[in-house]
Amino acid sequence: MMIEFGNDGAIELNFMALGLMHLIRDQKVHGIIDTTPSYNSLLVEYEPSDISDNDLKKELQKLFLSLGSVEEIEIESRLAYLPCCYLDPWTKAAIEDYCQKVKKREFDPDFVARINGLEDRHQLVRVHSGTEHWVASVMALPGCALMRPLDPRCLLTSPKYNPPRLWTPENAVCTGGMSTSIHTLRVPGGYNLIGRTPVPVYEASQNSPPFKKQVTLLQPGDRVKFIPIDAHEYKYIRQELKKGKYSFRTTDYIKFSVHAWKAWVKTLNYQERF
Amino acid sequence: MSRTIRVIKPGLETTVQDWPGLKGAFRYGFNHSGAIDHWSFRLANLLVGNKPGAPGLEAQFIGPTLLFESDQLFALTGANMQATLDGKSIPCWQTLEASAGQRLALGSAISGARTYIAFSGGIIAKPFLGSCSTHTMAQAGGINGRKLEINDEINIHSSTQTQKFTTPELIRPPKAKEKYWEIEMVVGPCDDWISDQGHQLFINSEWIVSPRSNRMGVRLEGPPLDFSSRAIDKAPEHGSHPSNCVDIGYPVGGINLCGDTPVVLLHEGLTGGGFIVPFTVPSSEFSKVGQARPHEIFKFKAVSVQQSQSKRHEINEICQTKNLRKLGD
Repeated sequence: MMIEFGNDGAIELNFMALGLMHLIRDQKVHGIIDTTPSYNSLLVEYEPSDISDNDLKKELQKLFLSLGSVEEIEIESRLAYLPCCYLDPWTKAAIEDYCQKVKKREFDPDFVARINGLEDRHQLVRVHSGTEHWVASVMALPGCALMRPLDPRCLLTSPKYNPPRLWTPENAVCTGGMSTSIHTLRVPGGYNLIGRTPVPVYEASQNSPPFKKQVTLLQPGDRVKFIPIDAHEYKYIRQELKKGKYSFRTTDYIKFSVHAWKAWVKTLNYQERF
Repeated sequence: MSRTIRVIKPGLETTVQDWPGLKGAFRYGFNHSGAIDHWSFRLANLLVGNKPGAPGLEAQFIGPTLLFESDQLFALTGANMQATLDGKSIPCWQTLEASAGQRLALGSAISGARTYIAFSGGIIAKPFLGSCSTHTMAQAGGINGRKLEINDEINIHSSTQTQKFTTPELIRPPKAKEKYWEIEMVVGPCDDWISDQGHQLFINSEWIVSPRSNRMGVRLEGPPLDFSSRAIDKAPEHGSHPSNCVDIGYPVGGINLCGDTPVVLLHEGLTGGGFIVPFTVPSSEFSKVGQARPHEIFKFKAVSVQQSQSKRHEINEICQTKNLRKLGD
């Protein structure tokens, strides 16, 4: 069953989807197996021999009404610091491969900078790393987070590749539509490539400390701060990870208040550039 | 004591699967995996005295050749891959017995697409997120998180089962009729993105199964559908094509409209994305979708959620040991 909260991409709709998701999990509604939020919807998987279609609808309507206004929603959230090698050689190779084999296109970071009215690719890096990114959803690929900037001044929009790219280096940081995503696997893709993180955001073996309890680093409602690094530092972190010495940096959970966020957004000076 | 089976030839794409696969990790981007034609899969397990969801093999289009290193009860269901045991033809849909040193060889499927092989005791595999199914994308579960390769060892739990069964025709899943499959579907979640005309066209058209189909999804070829105003006149963040939408979660069985191409999303498909899902094939129809061959034809029939759920219940009732016929009685 899918619940739609609205018909556009406003971030408030995602706060509602996550609010309802947490209510469902807290209430432990009998028969619900899984809840997968997206930007403006929530997909609910249920066992029909435990709860009927109609009863589920009634139950979800009741919970939705108890959610109140979007301002009142508070969401469990933690901050993850992810090193990101912006303008890296690996995603550059994937773009060049596309230019040779499929069709010529502008270098992705220059393209995204240009259509968002930024000076150049370096300002793109400052803008993209100048905000916390809200994890709205984890979907499509294992551990693949879909994110939106919490500082509206850092919102980047860009059309996706057409036709899609043949391959993407794993852990590429990319933007498309209004989202930032980390492509966890080497797969075809349509998002514009702007960097690569050395840190895995999911681990099937579940050996490293952050993955022992849950298989992915990021969950809907978490926030990500990208820390710009260069290619040398990228390689150093990869080595540390191999030795099992890398320490993942995440904060404890706090309550993210939509009300407080909205109040903060009102104070922002939109003339200020990064 | 566990027993061993050695892989002599892996076949086209043979994987360890269980049923119902990974549950509860969809929210982290992990699809369910597991046997697609779960009806045939459950019957295979029941024939060898296993629980219906125990880990077994799913072979696609061309089956494997396996060497039994110990005596073993096994059963084949689903597609007919002209199986032989030490060169002699053997039947599907009944319990079979192999002695140590015998070879089970499967060829190409002459009907259907997927054959299930169950071994009495069930395959020993390292569970991933609570399931032994191979999750190819995550490279986890099953045997080393991948399809079988030559010389792989498959270990089987010990079992004291000796009773043999056969499967009455009546309780086997339906087959294609002259290349045609009637597939039940429910409308939604994005049914209001398609015009009334588009709905009519979808139901009235013959949809050809594309060879570019796999465990991620079955691609269909047919006429372009007509969209409603919701798909055409929309906020820019949905994307430019009428089938584009702000990312949504994709239900398993969802008929995903990528441009003009519908894809029935299966157990290893993407868990979400930016294309609408106007219709959904319920799990009660997966035995058909899982056995469809390229160039066969789907005709869709709309049913209610309640109808599809009672059919699911019927299949659960059918997949019970009491419905098998004992051999030797």
